[in-house]
Amino acid sequence: MAKEALDLQAITARRRPWSGFRASLIAWWCVWLLVLLFFFSGARFSIGPVTIKTIALDWGFIATWWPFISRGVIVTFQLSIISIILAVVLALLSALARLSRVAPLNSLAGLYISLMRGTPLFLQFIFIYSALPQLGLVLNAFPSAVLALSLNYGAYMSEIFRAGIQAVGRGQTEAAAALGMTPWQTMRRIVLPQALRIITPDIGNQFIAMQKDTSLASAITLLELMGLARQAGAPRQRFFEALVVAAIWYWLMTIVLTYFQGKLEHRMARSDR
Amino acid sequence: MQPIVQVENLHKRFGGLEVLKGVNLRVAPREVVCLIGRSGSGKSTLLRCINFLEEPDEGRVTVAGISVPAGERTREHRQQIIELRQRAGMVFQSFNLFPHKTVIENLIEAPVVVKGMQPSQVIPLAEQLLAKVGLAEKRDVYPSKLSGGQQQRVAIARALTMQPQVMLFDEPTSALDPELIGEVLAVMRDLARDGMTMIVVTHEIGFAREVADRAIFMDGGVFVEEGPPEQCLSNPRDERTRRFLERIL
Repeated sequence: MAKEALDLQAITARRRPWSGFRASLIAWWCVWLLVLLFFFSGARFSIGPVTIKTIALDWGFIATWWPFISRGVIVTFQLSIISIILAVVLALLSALARLSRVAPLNSLAGLYISLMRGTPLFLQFIFIYSALPQLGLVLNAFPSAVLALSLNYGAYMSEIFRAGIQAVGRGQTEAAAALGMTPWQTMRRIVLPQALRIITPDIGNQFIAMQKDTSLASAITLLELMGLARQAGAPRQRFFEALVVAAIWYWLMTIVLTYFQGKLEHRMARSDR
Repeated sequence: MQPIVQVENLHKRFGGLEVLKGVNLRVAPREVVCLIGRSGSGKSTLLRCINFLEEPDEGRVTVAGISVPAGERTREHRQQIIELRQRAGMVFQSFNLFPHKTVIENLIEAPVVVKGMQPSQVIPLAEQLLAKVGLAEKRDVYPSKLSGGQQQRVAIARALTMQPQVMLFDEPTSALDPELIGEVLAVMRDLARDGMTMIVVTHEIGFAREVADRAIFMDGGVFVEEGPPEQCLSNPRDERTRRFLERIL
């Protein structure tokens, strides 16, 4: 009885500082968010000789143009979903090529990865949209953006896939081979499922990064979130307001993606628990 | 009697080091052969060459009628190796269960993928083998939930689900805590009693003495002593065998 009481005390003693910290974390988050909001309140006040001016937003502009800019979320979302799927396919293929003993394939994948990682993503966008037409290859803004994003992210993620595949122990490959599985069956059934589990957090991070890099597509006239914000803000000299609206959307999308990333990682870890 | 495993003049080099120097071995059906020797003597390499996890440089291996010469690079050669492996189950020191699959999924994986069987066709056999290794109730758990001894018993059942004609054991108890060794050896003993042909690389001299029909002592890539375990392990003629046994007993 006495021992039980003691144990309970030990548990609560261990628990309390932790949950206390968590509560104060949440409180401080709210404080800093309010401070951030206050900076955009337009309030102006003086403390002695110092006058503090906060940013005065044109709320009328925001109210009028919010729906217009927000329509870009759909294009941004479509662009990032299609590009991430193609990038994963490209990454997987080039990672397998990089791990293969077939010299032409291996070196081709190496060249692709080096080229894409060695040049700026912004240049790739402009190159595909504006330079390829010189060769008679004309692509619209949306397919150009998909191509640039998936080629570029495919190269980066290829290295993630390769590291993930290599992280699966040699014993796994040997066990599968000893059971009579072919190298391809072993890759598909044994190695890749485990590699995917290992790299899920990294792929999630890439997806979140790409979500924001879709904004580069506005430079090739695509009217996604960023493009619409510029279109609304530029003629009226209201860049600040327009960009705040776009920023809020990017931020929200990232928060949602981060949430789902956490969920996915939790599910993937099932067999380790 | 026609041997079920036949190894002829097997050579294996790693870089400049010759690990197997022309090994010959014939194993009769239902025979249990224990390979012993210090580390680096070539015993594990020999076992791994029998199912071509290591490609030998020279020689020939025959398992249950599938005869594969060493050192070829053809598609046909690779196909033959896959045929051979289906007749020779292997158990590893480090278990190597598939961590992303449950116990029953581990067992049915190879029959489904390699032999193209339906899961419903394999599951009865898999359940029967799980019961045989004493783990029927662990059917749906993941390997990470099992002790080392339990994992190794599942690994034995997984190899048996392919219905091999020979079982190869590569130091099956070396990675286990001492108190878990017994349960794995017991399963192996049952298997031997049921008439499975077994080649076992082991340091468990007690097991070899009790279960093996023949013990082989390897050193420097050759057999230095070979015979019934009571003679080979209790009364060795070779000086190296004697020194080795003195050290580990």
